[in-house]
Amino acid sequence: MSELSRRDFLKLARDGFLYLSGALALGGLLRFLDHDPNPAAKTEFDLGPASNYPLNSRTILSDPPAVLLHTESGFSAFSLVCTHLGCSLGNDSVGFSCLCHGSRFDADGTVTHGPADKPLRYLRVEVMDEGNLKLFTA
Amino acid sequence: MKKTLTPASGLLLLTLLFVWWWNSRLPKAVELTPTLTGQAEYCLTCHADVPEISPSHPTATFGCVTCHGGERLALDADLAHSTMRGGANPSDLSVVEQSCGGTSCHSGSEADDRHHIQRVMTSIQSTYAGAIANIRYTFGAQTDLNAYSGITTLTDEQTQTGIASLAAFKAAGDDHPFIQKFGENCLTCHINATPLEDENYTRHTGCAACHSTAQHTFATAIPYTQCNTCHNRGNYDLRTMTFVERTDQPTKRIDDYYQPIAQFTQCEYTLDCVDCHTRTEVMGNGDIHANKKDIQYTQCKTCHGTPTEQPLTKKLTDPNDIAFTLSFLNPVGDLKLGDMILITEKGEPLWNTRVLSDGTYELFGKATSQYFTFNPVMGSGCTQSGDDQSSAYCHECHAVER
Repeated sequence: MSELSRRDFLKLARDGFLYLSGALALGGLLRFLDHDPNPAAKTEFDLGPASNYPLNSRTILSDPPAVLLHTESGFSAFSLVCTHLGCSLGNDSVGFSCLCHGSRFDADGTVTHGPADKPLRYLRVEVMDEGNLKLFTA
Repeated sequence: MKKTLTPASGLLLLTLLFVWWWNSRLPKAVELTPTLTGQAEYCLTCHADVPEISPSHPTATFGCVTCHGGERLALDADLAHSTMRGGANPSDLSVVEQSCGGTSCHSGSEADDRHHIQRVMTSIQSTYAGAIANIRYTFGAQTDLNAYSGITTLTDEQTQTGIASLAAFKAAGDDHPFIQKFGENCLTCHINATPLEDENYTRHTGCAACHSTAQHTFATAIPYTQCNTCHNRGNYDLRTMTFVERTDQPTKRIDDYYQPIAQFTQCEYTLDCVDCHTRTEVMGNGDIHANKKDIQYTQCKTCHGTPTEQPLTKKLTDPNDIAFTLSFLNPVGDLKLGDMILITEKGEPLWNTRVLSDGTYELFGKATSQYFTFNPVMGSGCTQSGDDQSSAYCHECHAVER
């Protein structure tokens, strides 16, 4: 193996520096371009295989907060976000209650106690081609 | 040229490495998308350690910008804070409508009992109208004791029972030097005034003057010490028109209480102010009033009745009764449908009380959760006339001197 000449060493170092610089610059650029400082809120949620939710089941989802219903007429869902100011709802024996301001809804999402004055919002559910359920919040 | 390429490329690499290292030292941006707005904000990048302000205003729902304003996407502190409302206090009355208002929040309809801001803006705590009228009358600037001026201009054209308008008080416009001194030295009480500099007077302005009892905390459980920041700080000397600070340093609760009164019944110094005085008395009823006597109506008989009458009560039969809402916000008791509670002569629920089966009453301290029981006057040996309710009468037999 021949000895590395000073000239070759400097050339190798220069090329190394340039390649590393290029990689760093490219990484920074990609990171910059990939960053969305103002992302839109997620509105579509994959709930997994529809077979996970048997007929006549009622499933409380955490992300997004919602109730998924599977009845004879198919899948449906309603949101568990309070229609007053958007707080999360807790689940109790008679329905759902807002942890912030005390609104209450029955098991079907109808208001039984203010300050909320609108029922819980129904959400669209679709069975996708691959058999998964997709929930739409907008 | 070729000789400089290698050091130049090395320098470029070093520069890029330095930039990368510097960038990695910056705090990682923390994004929050509150459910109320659905818009990303980055305030938690620096403020993750700020405690949640109250169970009614969770950060995940409201975020920060809804109340505080500011540039939600900025990561530079100066830029992020450049458009904040009210500095660190969005409840300052100058910005409270933008921060806390809205029909679903605190400037809704009177029917929904959501006109909190309207009530506070017109309350004597904000207008100081009675004090101003008294001073102007005393020094000849007006010929009667009616209120014509407040801290700010205010009109209430719809009012049936209150004052229709107040002009902004301009002390400098009055000739009498005492009125001018009053304007300079004595306007530190109203809730939008900057408090005096002493830890005993520490409070915020606006809604937070009463409701914020600790850093970034909002509560309806308000201890008497919060009221003390205005109501027990010292006295105004009318001869010199200056404020004279308290010099004593009370160590007992009875000594720390409202200074103008020298005698207290046990409940007056054991309970907190908010246990007896209702939110309407404190925050007003939406009308412009001038004096405390126009809006303060809780008396001893409100809870104890008189020798000939029991106190007013109400059975809770409506799950939407405001009593349940107030109890939900400060759950010191376990109020239930069917409970009998005491009410004021205006019908305001004293939701922290309950009539017991033996005809006595129980009360949960709103700020302390302490449990008390008390008796009606009727059936006792008391011979007090029910019409004589000023403190001097009840204190005659029940006072504890200090």
